[in-house]
Amino acid sequence: MAMSDNIIQVTDLKKYYNHGAIKALDGVSAGIRRGEVVVVIGPSGSGKSTFLRSLNLLEEPTSGSIIFEGVDITRRKYKDPQTGKMVKVNIDKHRQKMGMVFQHFNLFPHMTILDNMTLAPIKVKGTNKAEAEEKALALLERVGLRDRAAAYPIQLSGGQKQRVAIVRALAMEPEVMLFDEPTSALDPEMVGEVLDVMRGLAQEGMTMAVVTHEMGFAREVGDRVLFMADGRLLEEGAPESLFIHPQNPRLQDFLSKVL
Amino acid sequence: MGDFNRRKNEPERLSSGGSVRQGVLTLALLVFYIVLIGGAVALLVHLVEKSHIIRPENFPTVMRYSLLFRQGLAVTILLALTTVIIGFILAILLAVMRMSNFRPALWLAKNFPNVFGFFERDAQGLKRDSGFLYQVSQFNPLGFFATAYVEVMRSTPVLVQILIIYHSVFTLVKLPTFQMFGFIAFNRFVPGMVTMGLNSAAYLCEIIRSGMQSVDGGQTEAARCLGLKQVQNLRYIIMPQALKNILPAIANEFVVIIKESAITYVIGVQDLMSSVNAVKGATYVIMEPLMIAAIIYFCLCFPTSKLIAYFERRMRRGDVR
Repeated sequence: MAMSDNIIQVTDLKKYYNHGAIKALDGVSAGIRRGEVVVVIGPSGSGKSTFLRSLNLLEEPTSGSIIFEGVDITRRKYKDPQTGKMVKVNIDKHRQKMGMVFQHFNLFPHMTILDNMTLAPIKVKGTNKAEAEEKALALLERVGLRDRAAAYPIQLSGGQKQRVAIVRALAMEPEVMLFDEPTSALDPEMVGEVLDVMRGLAQEGMTMAVVTHEMGFAREVGDRVLFMADGRLLEEGAPESLFIHPQNPRLQDFLSKVL
Repeated sequence: MGDFNRRKNEPERLSSGGSVRQGVLTLALLVFYIVLIGGAVALLVHLVEKSHIIRPENFPTVMRYSLLFRQGLAVTILLALTTVIIGFILAILLAVMRMSNFRPALWLAKNFPNVFGFFERDAQGLKRDSGFLYQVSQFNPLGFFATAYVEVMRSTPVLVQILIIYHSVFTLVKLPTFQMFGFIAFNRFVPGMVTMGLNSAAYLCEIIRSGMQSVDGGQTEAARCLGLKQVQNLRYIIMPQALKNILPAIANEFVVIIKESAITYVIGVQDLMSSVNAVKGATYVIMEPLMIAAIIYFCLCFPTSKLIAYFERRMRRGDVR
């Protein structure tokens, strides 16, 4: 168990379409340590979103393994280390521990902000309503949106929606937060408020995997940066070394275009 | 927080050029209505005064049988309501079957990978995403049955269905012969109700399915990421949004059911249409009872569709900023 400090360990992950004609992921191996902020960068179509979405099986990989807290979630069953018995993998259980934030927010439009946030804690975790609401309001307070609790998503700006989406995921008290291009659908002036929330989360020690085009954020907040292209992980390292001394020519080319 | 129900002011739409066009349009519409109503009145006058197809003096004769019409109306309403209930329950069942994830070959492959693994993975151990075995692994018998059912029911006339079911199923199954509420023949009413329910289930199923598929896929992803089970996702996220989208189509289907229930008179259900027939047999007049039936059907259907349109507008209100 050399990798036991990795909360997520991905090994040789492949995602093919049309019998391998399209290789969205072509053998990616990577680990995420507890409390680490991993930023995934790369040109569009490089497979970075597919990689992130595979981590909680929104995309079913073609092959490879994803070990989350010691359990290979790509398998149907696993051996319980305590009892030694085969136990069914319950993906809903694992997904609860991985909060996900989407590019297009995906708030539930027919519910108020407060209901958006309390639905999963009440229905999935069985938290009682008053407690869930109290917690939701505290989280909203943190992102400065407590006074919008009774509003509907359509009444909020993009940046506000994304902040709500983040705290909605946090309401389930996840072990890891996955961010799939959280600022790409935002107007430029709203990017900052969302990144501020994410920065705060990182400082609190939340384990985070972030797919983003915000190089400044990657450099400042990321503990480690992964560069992907053509479904492969081409280079990884600390942001200083990766941004200042890129080794791979694809990365050099990419950075020359975006920086 | 107090401002979130405030509606935006309607933008000022009518410029001076626009108001002239608006006036012309209104005038044209007015002329159209006058011609339409005038034509209808002229036709009615002709039918009554010249060709004597409608004879006003017949109405008192027909109205002597008003009890028949009232009973027919009761049967029609009861039939429509029971049809809607049966149809809706069956439709939800069918829609869930069509959208279910019941795939026996894939289940075998996942639970007995040593024996049936080839359904899911190819020789290199990669998950299949196309080809014949992939199709087999994705085959959903429940979905197939539901799809076949929907297509058969939608592609055959309800008149044929009602006669087939009455003369096959309800020849084998002998229903007790008694009168519900003293005037509804049970052994006629039930076959009519069952057939109408089976028929409308097919249409409602398509409506429900299209409604669920019209909800953005990101909603399901967000719900599943929060740990909600597929059933919870359907119940709390997809259904409430789908229902809003499909309400006009469902309202339309309800109105269609009320009107289509007239067909059940061919198997002797004593609905409104069969009252017309009975009155015709007793008095030898046909136009007058038909006119009365038409008016009653209109009074049932028109308010129903208006009522549902009202609820639809009220539900929309949550969307408006």
